[in-house]
Amino acid sequence: MKVKWTVRSIHLLAVLILLTGCWNSRELQELAIVSAVGIDLVPDSDEYRVTFQVINPATISTIMGGASGNVTPVTIYTGTDHTIFGALRRASQKVPRQLFFAHSQLLVIGESLAKSGISEMLDVFDRSHELRLNTTVLVTRGTDAQSVLSFLDPLEKVSATGLVEMTRITSEVWAENVEVQVFDLIESITGIGESIISGVRVIGDPEEGGKNKNLEQTKLMPYLSISGIALFKDGKLKKWMNGPEARGINWVRDKMDGTIINIDCMDKKEAIAVEIILSKTKVSIELRHGLPIFHVHIKEEGNLTEINCSLDLSSREEIEKLDKEVSKVTRDEVTKAIKAAQKQKSDIFDFGGNLKRTNPKAWKEVEKEWDSLFADGKVDVQVEAHIRRTGMRLKPHLK
Amino acid sequence: MSFWNPFKQKQHTDKTTNGDINTKTSDIHLRLSDNLDEIRKKLGNSSDIVIRQFECGSSRIPAAAVYADGLIDKEMVDDFVMHSMEFEVSSHTEKKITNSNDLLLSILSGDTIILIDGWAAAICGNTRGGQVRQVTEPNTQVTIRGPKESFTESIGTNVALIRRKIKNTNLWVDTMQLGEVTQTDISIMYIKGIANDKIVQEIKKRLKDIHTDSILESGYIEQFIEDSNFSLFPTVYNTERPDIVAGNLLEGRIAILVDGTPFVLIAPVSFFMYFQSVEDYYQRFIVSSMIRLLRYIALLISLFGPSVYIASITFHQEMIPTQLLISLAAQREGVPFPALIEALIMEFTFEILREAGVRMPRAIGQAVSIVGALVLGQAAVQAGIVSPAMVIVVSITGISSFTTPAFSMALSVRAIRFLIMFSAAIMGFYGIAIISIILIAHMCGLRSFGIPYLTPLAPFTLEDQKDTLIRFPMKFLFSRPRLISQKNTKRMTRDD
Repeated sequence: MKVKWTVRSIHLLAVLILLTGCWNSRELQELAIVSAVGIDLVPDSDEYRVTFQVINPATISTIMGGASGNVTPVTIYTGTDHTIFGALRRASQKVPRQLFFAHSQLLVIGESLAKSGISEMLDVFDRSHELRLNTTVLVTRGTDAQSVLSFLDPLEKVSATGLVEMTRITSEVWAENVEVQVFDLIESITGIGESIISGVRVIGDPEEGGKNKNLEQTKLMPYLSISGIALFKDGKLKKWMNGPEARGINWVRDKMDGTIINIDCMDKKEAIAVEIILSKTKVSIELRHGLPIFHVHIKEEGNLTEINCSLDLSSREEIEKLDKEVSKVTRDEVTKAIKAAQKQKSDIFDFGGNLKRTNPKAWKEVEKEWDSLFADGKVDVQVEAHIRRTGMRLKPHLK
Repeated sequence: MSFWNPFKQKQHTDKTTNGDINTKTSDIHLRLSDNLDEIRKKLGNSSDIVIRQFECGSSRIPAAAVYADGLIDKEMVDDFVMHSMEFEVSSHTEKKITNSNDLLLSILSGDTIILIDGWAAAICGNTRGGQVRQVTEPNTQVTIRGPKESFTESIGTNVALIRRKIKNTNLWVDTMQLGEVTQTDISIMYIKGIANDKIVQEIKKRLKDIHTDSILESGYIEQFIEDSNFSLFPTVYNTERPDIVAGNLLEGRIAILVDGTPFVLIAPVSFFMYFQSVEDYYQRFIVSSMIRLLRYIALLISLFGPSVYIASITFHQEMIPTQLLISLAAQREGVPFPALIEALIMEFTFEILREAGVRMPRAIGQAVSIVGALVLGQAAVQAGIVSPAMVIVVSITGISSFTTPAFSMALSVRAIRFLIMFSAAIMGFYGIAIISIILIAHMCGLRSFGIPYLTPLAPFTLEDQKDTLIRFPMKFLFSRPRLISQKNTKRMTRDD
């Protein structure tokens, strides 16, 4: 009897396991790995056109028998529907494999969609388990998401990876752009502050960017460039911020990892390059007579990396003068950035959130009319700059 | 029928006829010719039984010397027979036999029997000798540093090899014969006062319970006395290195030596013993601790290598870094089989090669390994049957399994690996987790002669951690494994 029972339970267990039938098992060759998702608004309708950049693994891997002829490393497919997820699934009519989103690194939002509002669109990223939240987001500038995703890149075969890396590196070393991921975006839309997203622009004819022929020349034409920061208000794109203005945003948000500041040398314009290597920003908001004052205190350190004029670096006073120059430039940029945001009544620096955290009582009073209060708020920027190193040479060879 | 039914009570009562050796016959005859006739009859007139007839003493009494050719040392026999002729045999090296059964057994063991007409007894002289294999370097559990001797097929040599290492009065040897036809000599060695008496008693009891016709290798005994026949894990250790046996005796374990095999059994064991090499104690502690850890990592790889690969590329693609995923996807383009089948093809090929490598005549081993490497490495990939990544996974798994010093455990790990692979193919990491839980639960329940298999991790003994996953310096190894030798656990006297 005991044997029978044992045998029976072993059978039951085996059935229990085997009947699951490898649930959710997917072989790699059944998957189309999506590297980037682009979302556009179909002109004159409220439908989304979702573009997928799908990786063609065989062309990318270096193993033998790989790259076959002139096949592009990525292919784009599109699906159109009233919902994004509908478009994802509808695209299955065109894609020979199952779309696999877990590795999508980039989300490109078309400019027209950005202008009409992105808040609704983000729900699916939060809700669906197939999409991920740490995808970098870019907004197209003067073009649509589809043409950006169709570009090829000679260095990064998956151009989406290239764009993500480009965004990350330029945000770190030049700081006129921001690296924003989907969860940052959702946070800023659900929170008090407003969103900002870096822009991506096509230089040249977008039609040529997706052809292998474009890669057969040393000077790429057309090419993609990360350009400016899109300023949003209530989820709608309001203004593009460029250059110093955009860099000011990073300073205020304490996201400055490094940049180059050119300062004047005596009578020569922008003759000295200072590389900012460290920057710490403290923001405090004060309410005085019902009006907010934004105290921005920046402490930054830099190295002299280039001097195109004759300057005696051995003297302490000279360096201190340069310190002052640097802080002046920084202050100007920061003020510009805040003023521009105030003009759009868009609190991209999350000053409101700051006030709510530090002074919740006061926040309750001003919460309702924060937009206008933010726009009228006074700005007090203090910059403390220090030049720490002057490079491997003391005196410039210019006399 | 009962052979197929493991759950039935074992029955030892219906002993089959095991030849004439067992039959308790009458005593030795008075007349020499009767005795010789009987010996001839009982041993079937075997040609290797030599009967030398002579007359001894001045009164010329007929006598005969009987011995088995090949089992004896010729010089010793000559000497013994010469002495017998002059009645000079002393009672120190020879004994008197009155039972014809003992007489035959002595002959078959290599002793020489002197039968004298008119005397209903025999003199038995120890002339055991003949050809035995020399003590050579061990073939298994090879070490760079450490003694280069291994056991031989002769139990006498083996006992001596251990005695030579432990010169202590407390090193006791119990001897018995097992196997009703083979009458194989078995020795149980332990250090009185260190070994747990209860375990010694238990081992003796289990050995006495063995009723079989033959013991040809210590593996026979292992399978009779082990705690669980149906577990994949071995619960008796075997080795051909005297230093391992000596070390284990000193930790309170018990060695079982079997005549005719160089493999000595050691019990009780713990799981971790199988991953400790003697060389861990010979090299300095930092390096040997690192190497020991490496061996555990290799164990994990050889257990989980292919299954983790299968699970992550068929269930959890999101876990793989993007670049690696693309590379893997590229390799799998054009591979016609699912990952599990691909893995099974490679694993089976590897296992076949390994088995062939062991069984093959030495001379053609080289050829097969070259062909095997080509099959595994190049051709299969180029033919598009398997992906290069799978070749890497299978080879690292195979190589990892060779790091386990004890071959019996390596065999078990090989088998378990396939279990885990199937469960990974069905349920991904979830399946791996389930099968691991089952395995660990099983190991927690397993006992080796009453000692928990996972000691000293479960049940946890802090002191024994010094010599489990890593090895502390010799100075700090104060105690013997606590659960093995419960009485006498102090290994050295502390100075303080």
